Amino acid sequence: MSKQAYMRVENIVKKFGPFTALNGVDLEVHAGEVHALLGDNGAGKSTLIKILSGVHEPTSGTIYIEGQPTAFRNPRDASAAGIGTVYQDLAINQLMSVTRNFFMGRELTSRFGTLRMDEMNQIAHDEMLKIGINFSDPTQAVGTMSGGQRQTLAIARAIYFGAKVLILDEPTSALGQKQQMEVLKTIKRVRARGDIAIIFITHNEIHSRLIADRYTFLALGEVLGSGTKAELEGEDIRRLMAGGAEIKDLEQELAAI
Amino acid sequence: MLERSESDRLQRESWLQRMMRRPEIGSFVVMIIIILALAFASNGKAFNALGLKNNIAIIAQLGIIAVGAALLMIAGEFDLSIGPMIAFAGMSIAIMMKWGLPFGLGEATPFLAFLITLCMTLAFGWLIGNIVVRSGLSSFIVTLAFWFFLRGLTEVCFRLINQNTNVSGLPDFKKESWFAEQMGGEVFGWFFDAWYWIGTKVSAGAEFTAEMTKAEKLDMINFLSFLNINRKMEQWVTGFDARLLWFIIIAGAAWYVLARTQLGSWIYATGDNKESARANGVPVNRVKIGLFMFSAFCATIFATCQVFDTNSSDAAKGMFKELEAIAIAVVGGILMTGGFGSIVGVIFGAVTFGLVANAVFFIPWIDGAWFRVFVGTVLLAAVFANERIRKRITGGI
Repeated sequence: MSKQAYMRVENIVKKFGPFTALNGVDLEVHAGEVHALLGDNGAGKSTLIKILSGVHEPTSGTIYIEGQPTAFRNPRDASAAGIGTVYQDLAINQLMSVTRNFFMGRELTSRFGTLRMDEMNQIAHDEMLKIGINFSDPTQAVGTMSGGQRQTLAIARAIYFGAKVLILDEPTSALGQKQQMEVLKTIKRVRARGDIAIIFITHNEIHSRLIADRYTFLALGEVLGSGTKAELEGEDIRRLMAGGAEIKDLEQELAAI
Repeated sequence: MLERSESDRLQRESWLQRMMRRPEIGSFVVMIIIILALAFASNGKAFNALGLKNNIAIIAQLGIIAVGAALLMIAGEFDLSIGPMIAFAGMSIAIMMKWGLPFGLGEATPFLAFLITLCMTLAFGWLIGNIVVRSGLSSFIVTLAFWFFLRGLTEVCFRLINQNTNVSGLPDFKKESWFAEQMGGEVFGWFFDAWYWIGTKVSAGAEFTAEMTKAEKLDMINFLSFLNINRKMEQWVTGFDARLLWFIIIAGAAWYVLARTQLGSWIYATGDNKESARANGVPVNRVKIGLFMFSAFCATIFATCQVFDTNSSDAAKGMFKELEAIAIAVVGGILMTGGFGSIVGVIFGAVTFGLVANAVFFIPWIDGAWFRVFVGTVLLAAVFANERIRKRITGGI
């Protein structure tokens, strides 16, 4: 890729006291690409996205946004720099309507603090249709929506409020088969816009192979391997996913028990 | 391939179905039942001119504090200090009216006494709110502590300054002070004027005649009194208690804020899931502190109306009022867990509670303690009903 990465991180180290969570991680994300971040539990994926979204500050290392070194002191800095994070719990309130969730904390108001409810309903409806959810009533409570629809709501919200880098934390992990596919379709549609970089964190090798353009594998706080889809063969992906072990070795280990 | 999509699972509902889903439907049904039962059992007396005035007085009184409690509960917190806050505010105003302003600053006017008291109660609300949000302790425990603290403080102040646990026999400030009249006087006199005017037209020529039996005379007295006319054919109720105006103002403002403003959205978001609200930039702590102060404000209005209505105050004022306020909020469809509810439901709840609390005056054969039996029963039923509504709204999750 010749064009400049929207966001690049270099040699990120994060220590929690004596524990090294990340030991020199590099990553770059390009607009219009899906970057799959894979790794086993405890590999440091969560720590990395918390650094990218401004929750933690790195012990050392630099984040570049469009080539400029940038420091995030808090989540607000990160979101001002265009980093939109969709966490696993989605930060959604079940008892509130879709619209009120969509605009939570950033409501459109006229003077005197009155809500412009019709306008907000319209925007929420349009934005969710835009990324392809089949959806009719923005006044329905989020509690009545499926897991996939909620995921889409959180993604649409992040994009509408200016995310240039969309970090999706295991968006498919708690869903059924059909809804997983819905979410993958949503991710593809966001990718097709061409102006948003997506970091897709997952356990699931199959999902990552369906939509990712670029991979980074983490194990024990370090990058085990990375590259574009073309550079990595299928077997490589599986081997890296298993933390570097050959799948045959695993089979033998299992057989030995 | 399935033709149906995810959104087809949400049924389009008729107007009636939508109404049945509203959070206030349960309290509305209970209210209608109580109104009909009371009208029947009291032979209409509960809703003649005097009955209406007395009922509205207690409905407004309970409603004022229930609105404060309800907003706080929607934001996910409790306030058990409402009752003692009422006693404290009443003590403060009454003592200032009797003994003058603190630090020898001279005579107190009703408005000044109210203003100084309001500053103190708002400061208490602010303190309670800060303790709750900063410590992360349950508001139940923190406000329980303030329940004892304020009850004790009120009594101590009464005894230190007035050598007694009450102030009574204050002059009637309503005559000279516009403010006292607005708090403890009467409002909406035109309502009863109109009622009387209609009554005189309807009853023109109604007079006792010699051949009427005693029962017929009683019926006629009942009928005339319903028309706001006494036996001398004069108007005998001139207005509602001023509390009604305050209840309308406070409930109206609370309804508007909840349903139509950004702050309302923040209150719901805070009570539903405060972590996700915070992650989206809602100032959760400020919302909670503000609502503890609003609850203290409502208690102060309650107390001010009471003092200028009765020209007295004592340390036992506001007893159990915090529990009644919470009960009304729950019966009005506010979820104990926060994040859901409406002010309209709370108004229905206040009407229900006020009518039942007063029922003993209109149905002489009833024991007043049945009120609490009723409250307990309805409260339990309401909690179950609310839980059902919540499940229906969230699709059983």
